[in-house]
Amino acid sequence: MILKRSASYSLLFLASFLSLFPLFWTISTSIKDRVDSYSLPPKFFTFTPTLKNYTSLFSLEKFWQIYSNSIIITLGSTLICLAVGSLAAYALARKPKFRGRTPLEGLMIAIRALPAIVLLLPIYKLSSYLDLYDSKLGLILIFAGFNIPFAIWLMMSFFEQIPVEIEESARVDGASTFKMFTRIILPLAAPGLVATGIFVSLLSWNEFLIPVIMAGENSKTLPVLVASFISNRTLDWGPMAAAATVALIPIVLLTVVIQRWLVAGLSSGAVKE
Amino acid sequence: MITKVSRPNLLRRKNLRPVAHLTIPTWIFLALVVLIPFFYGIYISFLNINLASFLPPSFVGFDNYQTVLAASETWSTLRITLIITLIGLLMQIPIGILLALVLHENLRGTKIFRSILITPMLLTPVAVGLTYRFMFDTDLGVINWALGSIGIEKVNWLGSQTSALFAIIIVDSWQSIPFVMLLVLAALTAISSSLYEAARVDGATASQIFRRITLPLITPTLLVITMIKIMDFLKLFDTLFILTRGGPGNATTTLGLWTYKTGFVFLEFSRAAALGVIITIITLPVYFLWRRASKGVR
Repeated sequence: MILKRSASYSLLFLASFLSLFPLFWTISTSIKDRVDSYSLPPKFFTFTPTLKNYTSLFSLEKFWQIYSNSIIITLGSTLICLAVGSLAAYALARKPKFRGRTPLEGLMIAIRALPAIVLLLPIYKLSSYLDLYDSKLGLILIFAGFNIPFAIWLMMSFFEQIPVEIEESARVDGASTFKMFTRIILPLAAPGLVATGIFVSLLSWNEFLIPVIMAGENSKTLPVLVASFISNRTLDWGPMAAAATVALIPIVLLTVVIQRWLVAGLSSGAVKE
Repeated sequence: MITKVSRPNLLRRKNLRPVAHLTIPTWIFLALVVLIPFFYGIYISFLNINLASFLPPSFVGFDNYQTVLAASETWSTLRITLIITLIGLLMQIPIGILLALVLHENLRGTKIFRSILITPMLLTPVAVGLTYRFMFDTDLGVINWALGSIGIEKVNWLGSQTSALFAIIIVDSWQSIPFVMLLVLAALTAISSSLYEAARVDGATASQIFRRITLPLITPTLLVITMIKIMDFLKLFDTLFILTRGGPGNATTTLGLWTYKTGFVFLEFSRAAALGVIITIITLPVYFLWRRASKGVR
C-alpha cells in the first residue's frame, strides 16, 4: 500500500471524473440549444433538453449514406479480419516454428510500428491503378489489412487456451484439419471470436487517416464527417456534438458487452513475441 | 462395436498440428497493405511525382532526399515531434504508474473504476478532438471557465505554440494514460506477493518497497511502453488534425503530419514518400529496442 485508502479513493474518483467528463460534456452539448451551449457559467444540468441538433444532423444531405458507409465498411473489414485472421492465429498458436513465421510476424509488427501515412501514400497511388480509390470495397480491404495483425494477436491468446488434447482425440477419430478447425476449434473459441470481432470493429469504426486519404464522396465514413465540421468557419457546437455523440454511443455500448476481454485486446501486440 | 485400431502415424504430434498454409490469406493482405506499398514507396521517393502536374514522372535519384533534408520544416517538425514525445512520456508514464498502483490495491469497486478509466482509449479520436476543441475554447470553453473560477486568467489554448502543444499533449495523455496503466497493471500483477511480504517482515517502508522491489520489476514493461509510445507519437494524427491542424502556422506540426501535408496539401508526392522513408529509418532503432525490451517482459 503506497497510499492511504482515502487517498486512493480520492484519486480514483478524480481520475474517473476526468475520464468521463468529456464524454458527458459532448452528450450534454448535443442536447442543448445554441443559447444554452454558449452560456457562461456553463450549464451542466439546468437546461431544457432538445433534439434540434440531431434533427439538423440527420437532415444533412448524405448523413445516412455516410452512416451506412461506416457500418458497411466496419462490418465488412471485421468479417475479413475474423475469417483470414483466425486461420493464421490458429497456425501461429499451435505451431511454434514453420517456414515464414518470422517474416509474417515482422510484417504484423510493422503495421503496429510504422505511421500509417508512410504506407498510405503508396497505397493511394496504387489504388488509382486498381480503381479502388473512393470505393467501399477498397476501404474494406485496406481496413482489413491494417487490422488483421490485431485480430491475430488477440485470437492467438484464445486459441492457446484450448487444450491440444481435444484436437488429438478428434484427429484420432479421423477428422481433417479443416473439419477440426471449423467444428471443434472455432466453436470452443466462440466467445474469443466475438470479443475479437468487437475489438476490431472498434478500430475500424474509429479509423480516420485511411478514409481521409482514400475516401471521396462515395465512401466517406463517420469520422470524416465529424472532422468536416471544423472546417466551416461558423462553429456550431450543437450539431457537431451530436455528430460526435452518434460516433461515440455505439462504442460505449459495445465496450460494456466485451468488458471481460477488453484488457487483453487493448494491450495486444505490445509484449507478445 | 468398438474396434481398437492403433494409428501411430496420426498420433504423432507433428501431424496433429496445423500447417503454414493457413497463413496464406494473411500473407496476401499484408502484402497488399505493407510489403508492396513499402517498396513502392521507396521507388516513388526516387521519382518526381507531383500530384498537380501532368508530366510523366522521371527518375531523379536522391534529389527528394536532398530537398527534404535541406528544408527547415523537416527539422522543425522533427523537433516538435520530439518535444511532444518527451513531455508526453514524462506526463503519461508517472500518472499511468500511479493509477496502476491504486488499481492494484484491489479496493472495493476496482473493476468498475478500471472500466471507467479505460473508456477514453476506446473513443473515436476525431470525436475526442472535437470535444476538447470545444472545451479549450478561449471565451466559451469549460476549461477556461474552470481555471477562471480558481483565479487563473484566460488562456488562448490553441492560439500559441506553447499552449497548443500543451493542449495536444493533454488530449493525447487523456487517451493514452489508460494504455500505460493497463500494461503496468499487468506487470504489477505478475510480481509475486511473497516478495512484498518478505520486505514488510524486514520492516521496509512503502516507498522503499516501491523503489527497491516494484520499480525494478516493472522496468522492462516501462521500457516497452516507452518504445511503443515513441512510435505512437510519430503516428499522432487524428486529434492533432482536429485540434490545430498543425497550426498556428506549422507551430504544432509533427513529422507525420508534415508528411501528410507535403503529399496531400502541397501535392509534392515524391517528397512525401522520401519523408516516409526517413520516418521508417527513425522508427527502426525504436522498433528493435521495443522487441528486445518485450523479451524481458515475458
